[in-house]
Amino acid sequence: MTATTDPGVTVTELPPPTRITLRVADPTGQPLPTRIGAIEGCALCLGPDEWLLEGDAAADLVAGLPGPYSAVEVSDREITYLLEGPAVLDLLATGCPRDLASMPVGAGARTVYDTAQVVLVREANDRFRLTVWRSFAPHVRALFDIAMREIAAGL
Amino acid sequence: MTSYRLQGRGRVDHGKPVNFTFDGKTYQGLAGDTLASALLANGVHLMGRSFKYHRPRGVVSAGSDEPNALMGTRRGPGRFEPNTRATIQEIREGLEAASQNRWPSLAFDMGAINDNLGSLFSAGFYYKTFMWPRAFWDRVYEPVIRNAAGLGVSPTEPDADSYASRFAHVDVLVVGAGPAGLAAALAAGRSGASVMLVDENAEVGGTLLSEPTVVIDGQPAWDWLAATVAELDGLANVQVMPRTTAIGYYHQNLVGLAQRLTDHLAAPPEGAPRERMWKVRAKEVVLAQGALEKPLVFDGNDRPGVMLASAAQTYLNRYGVKVGDRPAIVTAHDSAWHAAFDLAGAGAKPVVIVDMRASVDPALTDRAHALGIEALLGRTVTGTAGRLRVTSLRVNRMEGGKAGEPRDIGCDAVLMCGGWTPCLHLFSHTQGKLAWDEALQVYLPGRKTEAVQIAGAGRGLWSIAASLGDGANAGAAAARDVGLEAEAPVFGVAADRTGSGITLKELPTDRDPAKAKAFIDFQNDVTAKDIRLAVREGMRSIEHVKRYTTNGMATDQGKMSNINGLMIASDALGKAPPQVGLTTFRPPYSPTTFGTFAGYHQDATFEVTRKTPIDPWAEANGAVFEPVALWRRAWFFPKPGEDMHAAVGRECRGARASVGIFDASTLGKIEVVGPDAVTFMERMYTNPWAKLGVGRCRYGLLLGEDGFIRDDGVIGRIAEDRFHVTTTTGGAARVLNMMEDYLQTEWPDLKVWLTSTTEQWAVVALQGPNARKLLEPFVEGLDISAEAFPHMAVAECTVAGFPARLFRVSFTGELGFEVNVPARHGRALWETLWQAGQQYDICPYGTETMHVLRAEKGYIIVGQDTDGTLTPGDAGLTWAIGKAKPDFVGKRSLTRPDMVAKGRKQLVGLLTEDPKVVLQEGAQIVADPAQPKPMTMIGHVTSSYWSDALGRSIAMAVVVDGRERDGQTLHIPMPGGTITAKVVKSTAFLDPENRRLSA
Repeated sequence: MTATTDPGVTVTELPPPTRITLRVADPTGQPLPTRIGAIEGCALCLGPDEWLLEGDAAADLVAGLPGPYSAVEVSDREITYLLEGPAVLDLLATGCPRDLASMPVGAGARTVYDTAQVVLVREANDRFRLTVWRSFAPHVRALFDIAMREIAAGL
Repeated sequence: MTSYRLQGRGRVDHGKPVNFTFDGKTYQGLAGDTLASALLANGVHLMGRSFKYHRPRGVVSAGSDEPNALMGTRRGPGRFEPNTRATIQEIREGLEAASQNRWPSLAFDMGAINDNLGSLFSAGFYYKTFMWPRAFWDRVYEPVIRNAAGLGVSPTEPDADSYASRFAHVDVLVVGAGPAGLAAALAAGRSGASVMLVDENAEVGGTLLSEPTVVIDGQPAWDWLAATVAELDGLANVQVMPRTTAIGYYHQNLVGLAQRLTDHLAAPPEGAPRERMWKVRAKEVVLAQGALEKPLVFDGNDRPGVMLASAAQTYLNRYGVKVGDRPAIVTAHDSAWHAAFDLAGAGAKPVVIVDMRASVDPALTDRAHALGIEALLGRTVTGTAGRLRVTSLRVNRMEGGKAGEPRDIGCDAVLMCGGWTPCLHLFSHTQGKLAWDEALQVYLPGRKTEAVQIAGAGRGLWSIAASLGDGANAGAAAARDVGLEAEAPVFGVAADRTGSGITLKELPTDRDPAKAKAFIDFQNDVTAKDIRLAVREGMRSIEHVKRYTTNGMATDQGKMSNINGLMIASDALGKAPPQVGLTTFRPPYSPTTFGTFAGYHQDATFEVTRKTPIDPWAEANGAVFEPVALWRRAWFFPKPGEDMHAAVGRECRGARASVGIFDASTLGKIEVVGPDAVTFMERMYTNPWAKLGVGRCRYGLLLGEDGFIRDDGVIGRIAEDRFHVTTTTGGAARVLNMMEDYLQTEWPDLKVWLTSTTEQWAVVALQGPNARKLLEPFVEGLDISAEAFPHMAVAECTVAGFPARLFRVSFTGELGFEVNVPARHGRALWETLWQAGQQYDICPYGTETMHVLRAEKGYIIVGQDTDGTLTPGDAGLTWAIGKAKPDFVGKRSLTRPDMVAKGRKQLVGLLTEDPKVVLQEGAQIVADPAQPKPMTMIGHVTSSYWSDALGRSIAMAVVVDGRERDGQTLHIPMPGGTITAKVVKSTAFLDPENRRLSA
């Protein structure tokens, strides 16, 4: 048996930040990015009228909106993993059909990993945050573990 | 080493012997050998028995088109694969291979009796013979045929290997790494495009591996190949992947690749998957799949030792193996002459070259004479002899278009070439049109549907120079199409061996053609006369001929047989080939393991198993689980020695006597928010919502457009503009989708938004007379007394220190609360209540007890008591319809004549005459058990349980005009006898006045 090597990527579960799903009919003039996938401040634009707000500033942002809007707290709905290392794109390519190599740093996307819906944010060239519904997280995590063994095996 | 291996020749490593077994006998090959080349090096030609006639068969090709040399291969327990192509499988130390379709042995096979009975097994044999009597089909014919049919045996052990999958995105995907593919990859790679170059063989190079004498840019072919591969490997934007088969070409340039990772390794690295499925999205695809050589069709063309001429050339030049000492060559194309010359150059003594053509390029005949090889032109071949290996060839002169006197020529191999077929399988997957080329007598790519280039022999170019140039142009064009500047490199080629040939039907014979075993499809044992018979029996389309004869229907999809079959069918029909047509190729290009398709979806990751935050507690406390949609839910909590019946009985008593605790976290939850939230709710659900006060809940019923029940759940009004909707566990995603669909397509004007909160909340239900006493001390900021917080109230508060949404609801008929807390606190809340509940003998219960408790109250479960054909009226739920509402989803359908007609099935209660008998759910109900069979079934049991509280069985059922049958006795015929039961129109078996839940 050939010795296995370092998979070149680590997966770490992060503590949950405040997360709010924000829906706004008209974002004109609001501190919200309008290009899907763009991030401004705490807001990631997921759709033409949908944002994911993360972090301590989320509540303040909502409080400043004139309305009508829908803000629903989903901090506990999801688990976030930090994926980091030179092999991070290989790891994600085991289950995500998107072309992540072309995703700019500082952008995000709602996509799928295997059969689970996930939100990805590219924090650096070799660092992503992946957010997935709580009950799907163990499945995604198990697939990451399999994929890391596979990458370490070097084939 | 045997005399068939030529020292120093080929690309195998002569310094690295590799031991393997075939049918239990140990053989030695060399690193770089395939199973087929290693066996040939040992003088073994007999590698299998044919599918239908059990004829002895040898290897016929050197590639993935091999129809004969299919073997079982094994690497220890759980690692057995049937039908491995010996021409593709590389040998590794310890590889175990075994022949198939023979008993008791490969050399002597009882099944070969079929061969002598061949006249019985003509085309359409099964259709004609096993028609009658009809009753024999299931019991006799089908089992016998199934037992006799099929090639190889299925593995019996679970697959011990793991499989992988990977997505990729590239500018240019090049399929096939022969001269055209390599040139395309060079052109595209040098432009900076991201390139993936894949080839199904262990090594890239394609034809160049078998044509070492060609000179490219002044270098011998293999030196040029090494330099080219080195250049490609040096380009960071190019990925070269051997052992990778492009199996399917789908919409928008999505190509599936099956990559073999470990089957060639003696000791695979730990954790390495066996195979990987790539799903590649390419901006441009270059198909450089080359061409496949066709056999010639003559009696005995399947005898071991008869093979394609190009295969012999490949075994010689790539693997250093002579397929025979005295080969005879039979051909209709120039290319086989070169195979003969190469063999002569390697020390074999080709006995004859028989060309069907009356004249050929004199350079060929001159060379043959110079090498001392007899050349016969304008001949036909009418037979071969030899039992397990060919020993002679029967050749006839052609006289006036007919076969004349025969002559037998002794030989130990026959190398045949019936011309070449451009390999357009993947192009065909895209629904690209093929066009018949009259001059070349082949189908070539026509109209394209994808961003694809076809290069080289795939579009009828028969030389290495032409293929290199064409590939370079295609690669450069692909790169330019993705917006890069690219130039097609120019190659100087010398010693190229171009050639031409003709396309034939089966060869003429002086014998009875009806007795000829002239094979077209070797894998499915289809002969020329089968095709002619099919035409005589009325088949006109090639699609019908194919299905009637099974020509081209084996796993090789007619790679060798398609065009030969077409030529014979078109001759029999008296029509030109394009008028007869061509069958469609479908993915996968070559047989692909189930494991590769399954990928990571095996064992624990076969499918998502969703678990609630409280699941670990249930597991630690001995719960038995059941799957509900993707969730696993605690089914019941047996104590030591308890069976399910005893555990459920105890859990039911516990909840009704004191307090039960239940994990309701899986219920779907949707937050409906916005100024138009109430308008939206009015339109979606049957119930009225406008007057529902903040802090109140209501049972909501959701219909489809057709008026049938789709879902239900308790819905709380959290604020004027905010509803907390619950759905069934299995319906959560479906209901959200349906709501979004209406919102986006019907009512885009509404200012309301939907957010799934199923997983935001963990839900702990406390049900039973002591529920309030247990909960009250933990609640802050809310008075939960019966007066202040009545049944169907909802409020936000703090429970056990956690922020909570508290519902006073009951799905049991008892005083009940459901505490929603953020999911991370779910288990802590559960354990707090569990500890405090000890003083009340708190009882955790699972979904089975939940089902019993709700059935005692007659509450329905959508999907169990309804099946998508029940209206609110059928289910006795008309009280849930807001009659004054102008509209809601499904309202119009409820007044259609059929929906209000008599004779609809209605949900009722059923009480068995014998209270101890529990009906079987799904059992059919009849009015008169004495009627003759088949009886008229008037309904079926939907829910049935033993009720501990009532001391008897209870059931719910849907029955035609059920409510009118109140008090009637109905019958449930079962295998052990008929059960009688009485209809009760109300399903509320327990506490119909609802005193308990209002406590």
